[in-house]
Amino acid sequence: MLQRFLDPAVLHGINGLDLVAKTVVDGFVAGLHRSPDFGFSLEFAEYRAYSPGDDLRHVDWNLFARTERCYLKRYRGETNSQMTLLLDASNSMKFSSHAVTKMDYARYMAASLFYLSLHNQRDPAGLIVFDDEVRNYVRPSTRQGQLHRLLAGLEQAEPAARTDFGKPLQHFQEFLKRRGIVLVISDFYEQPETIVKAIEPLRFHGSEVVLFHILDPKEIYPEMKGPSILVDLETDQRLEVIPDYVKTEYRAKMDNHLQQMKERAQSAGLGYHLLTTDKPLDRALTEYLSLRRSSIAGGR
Amino acid sequence: MGFLAPWFLAGALAVGLPVFVHLLRKQTTVPRPVSSLMFFEQGTQSSTRHRRLRYLLLFTLRTLTVLLLALAFARPYFRHKTVLASDKLLLVAVDDSYSMNAKAGGDAGTKLDEAKREALQTLSHKSVGQKAQVIELGGQMKLLTQPVEEGDQLRAAVDGITPGDGHATFGELGRGMRAMAETVHTPMELDLFSDMQESNMPGNFADMVMPGNVQLVLHRVGAEKATPNWTVESVQAPGQLVDTKKARVIAVIAGHATPAASRTASLVVNGNVVATKKVDVPADGRATVVFEGLDVPYGESRCAVRVGSGEGAADAFPSDDASWFAVKRADPERVLFVHQATDTRSPLYFGAALAAAAQAEFVLQPITPEQSSDIDPTKYAFVVLSDVPSVPAILENTLIRNVQVGGSVLVAAGMAESHREHIPVYDGNVQDGHFYAHGLADAAGFATVGEADGSHPAMKDANGWEGTKFFYAAAVPLDHDAGKARVVARLGDGTPLLIDRQMGEGHVLLFASGFDNLTNDLPLNPAFVAFVDQTAKYLSGEERVSGARVVDSYVQLRNPVNEASGDSAASKATVDVVGPDGKRPLSLKEAAAAQSFQLEHAGFYQIHFANGRNALIAVNPDPRESDLATVPDDVLKLWSGSAGTGAATAGESASEQADNSVSGLWWWFMLMLAITALAESAVASGYLGTQREAA
Repeated sequence: MLQRFLDPAVLHGINGLDLVAKTVVDGFVAGLHRSPDFGFSLEFAEYRAYSPGDDLRHVDWNLFARTERCYLKRYRGETNSQMTLLLDASNSMKFSSHAVTKMDYARYMAASLFYLSLHNQRDPAGLIVFDDEVRNYVRPSTRQGQLHRLLAGLEQAEPAARTDFGKPLQHFQEFLKRRGIVLVISDFYEQPETIVKAIEPLRFHGSEVVLFHILDPKEIYPEMKGPSILVDLETDQRLEVIPDYVKTEYRAKMDNHLQQMKERAQSAGLGYHLLTTDKPLDRALTEYLSLRRSSIAGGR
Repeated sequence: MGFLAPWFLAGALAVGLPVFVHLLRKQTTVPRPVSSLMFFEQGTQSSTRHRRLRYLLLFTLRTLTVLLLALAFARPYFRHKTVLASDKLLLVAVDDSYSMNAKAGGDAGTKLDEAKREALQTLSHKSVGQKAQVIELGGQMKLLTQPVEEGDQLRAAVDGITPGDGHATFGELGRGMRAMAETVHTPMELDLFSDMQESNMPGNFADMVMPGNVQLVLHRVGAEKATPNWTVESVQAPGQLVDTKKARVIAVIAGHATPAASRTASLVVNGNVVATKKVDVPADGRATVVFEGLDVPYGESRCAVRVGSGEGAADAFPSDDASWFAVKRADPERVLFVHQATDTRSPLYFGAALAAAAQAEFVLQPITPEQSSDIDPTKYAFVVLSDVPSVPAILENTLIRNVQVGGSVLVAAGMAESHREHIPVYDGNVQDGHFYAHGLADAAGFATVGEADGSHPAMKDANGWEGTKFFYAAAVPLDHDAGKARVVARLGDGTPLLIDRQMGEGHVLLFASGFDNLTNDLPLNPAFVAFVDQTAKYLSGEERVSGARVVDSYVQLRNPVNEASGDSAASKATVDVVGPDGKRPLSLKEAAAAQSFQLEHAGFYQIHFANGRNALIAVNPDPRESDLATVPDDVLKLWSGSAGTGAATAGESASEQADNSVSGLWWWFMLMLAITALAESAVASGYLGTQREAA
């Protein structure tokens, strides 16, 4: 059952890339992520002159014997990047115009990321499922069986209730005390300023926050051949709509919403990516990871 | 315009269905879920107008579909007055019955020659592009060509018509045309070239009425007034002859439309005139001539009675002046009569009856079962087992084999057989014996014949059987005989009295009583002589081949094969038929399988049957063909006027009816229906597509 989240085709596309965290997180477990901080590891970094109070264990006695000066030996530390994924499980995620609902797409993507993080990078990964409250929380860890716990959490995340970013925010703060990568997957049917305002505090801990905006292609370019009665999946409210409106005003409003989301997120230092459910999953992730790597390289 | 099936118009009521769907049924829209309504606004202003317009178009198309379907099934038509000559199928029917061999008068040759000349003239006046078909009307109606335009093919077909010996009937022509009109709906013109013989008229005028789209044009060939004709109407002569001095040949000389005249009747044997007699034939009447003694050589002889011109008027139809018959002279055939030593009455009565009948053709040879072991039954005409409880096994097996290949056995199951269940040769058992003398079944002490099948050769003269008293009859069950045994006579209580059972090519006739006068008084009855005579002829096979036949009659070549038992070994033997012209009309395949054969020509047929017997069969034309009286003009006018709507509207001219043809419109409606259905599918698929998307 869990294998459906580990589509080999998807993983194949991701395997070729190194996940390089943008932010260095504390930790001493060996990995592939280079930390900008210095720690105590095997790879030499530099010498520093001894100053009173330094630990004498780190003095390079060989150098002292040759030069009679005390230097401390410093090493380049390698660390892990804790990844926490926030998954929106509101009713609106049930929508689909084809075989894959937005929720399915989000699950596939989350599962792929979990697998990549735990299996390849040995990074701790955690999951928070929310709608108007926190529905499920899987603590970030690299313990054995963590991947199965995460995937089981994804399985249990059935869409219910409506989205509310305000209420579960305080809980996010409790759970996310360590720095790391925070990924938010949602269709973001809310005002952009409300969303950014609710998520922005997550960055204050030093975490890198990225928003994955999942939409169905028919939500961006809807088709309507005749007047129809529309039902809101979250509120159950009904509204009769004519095709002319959908072709003109709806498009304009949706474009404006997407533009606002992008701008507000970037201005708040949040990563933002719009993904539609008709795009191949590996392609979407590859696109994102490439962007991340290029941005890391640019930052050095 | 009208409708051929107006009841289908009731189907137009189905229009109510689209009316209900579009106008009466409340329109419902399936709600369509969306993630959020935050970017939508309500709008209803212009939607219903578009929807109604499209629904109105769909409603119109659906209503039209239903109406066109109902109209197409009602088969609309319209009458139009103009029919092109090339649309009319020309049918040229030439009568080639036996009477057409008569002289037409003058130097024109026979009537058939004149008919063919006129038919060719009619074909030459056929318009270009018009199709025609040639029909030969003899004993049967034959289509000589398909409907074709090529004149050469049609003329060749007319030229190829040869004089026939059959008897034509206009009823056959009427039936054929009615059958043809079921498949050909275009107007047809039937040109009939015939001598319009009165004897060709069927018993019922309705049989010869033509269908509505046939215009009948009659062409009389020969004189309208009947020409005098003398003919030998019938000849009565023995088929098999033993004593030539006792034989008699009785001929009937008939005159049709003739004055009283003196004619000469000659008896011809194998081409030689052996006797001549003068006979006075009254005006338009008949006279009988009797020839005493028929001196023919041993074997089969081809004989004829011929009527000569003698003195007086000439004969217009010399071809029918002779009537042929075949006679076979042979020594008396022996009949093996197996009886018990104690039974002396049976051979006495049976032998006396056999001697009295059949012109002494058979000689009885009575023996007891003990003497019969080394008897060869093939040397006998047939075998009689008279109330013998058992026969030697060797004889029974020999008899069964003989029956399988065409021999015959007559079994009498008298009281002696009641002690034993098994009946020799006959594949059956005696279930019980009915002793009527004891008054158990009948208060009178005897039983009488309840029913008799007069069509069976052995019971042709069953008139004397009514008074016969039966005191005993063996009850033979028929359950396992279904399909093979035929009950020829039953007693009053239903007990089968005479059963004919086919075994292979031969027959076993079971008489469920005795030939003595103890079990019944039949031997004392005059009907016994006729019964023995006819039974002897039937079992010896003489009945099947004796006497003269009429043209177009059938002769049975082999017994029908019983598919269930498949016991006819002899049915696989080939037969051989040699026609009057010396040719063999049957192919090898037909000779191996044909059960019967139609005698199509007059003359002598030499036939070798499947059971090994040979016969010479004389075939004469139907005597009705000799009466050259023609159908009166008023009757012919009535007939030709009856084409169209029958005799009731005979006053209408045939041409007017033919021109008033009918054209069906249903396929135009079907075409429009197909177009409407396609349009409806296109419009409806758009609508349904929206519905599906919404769902």
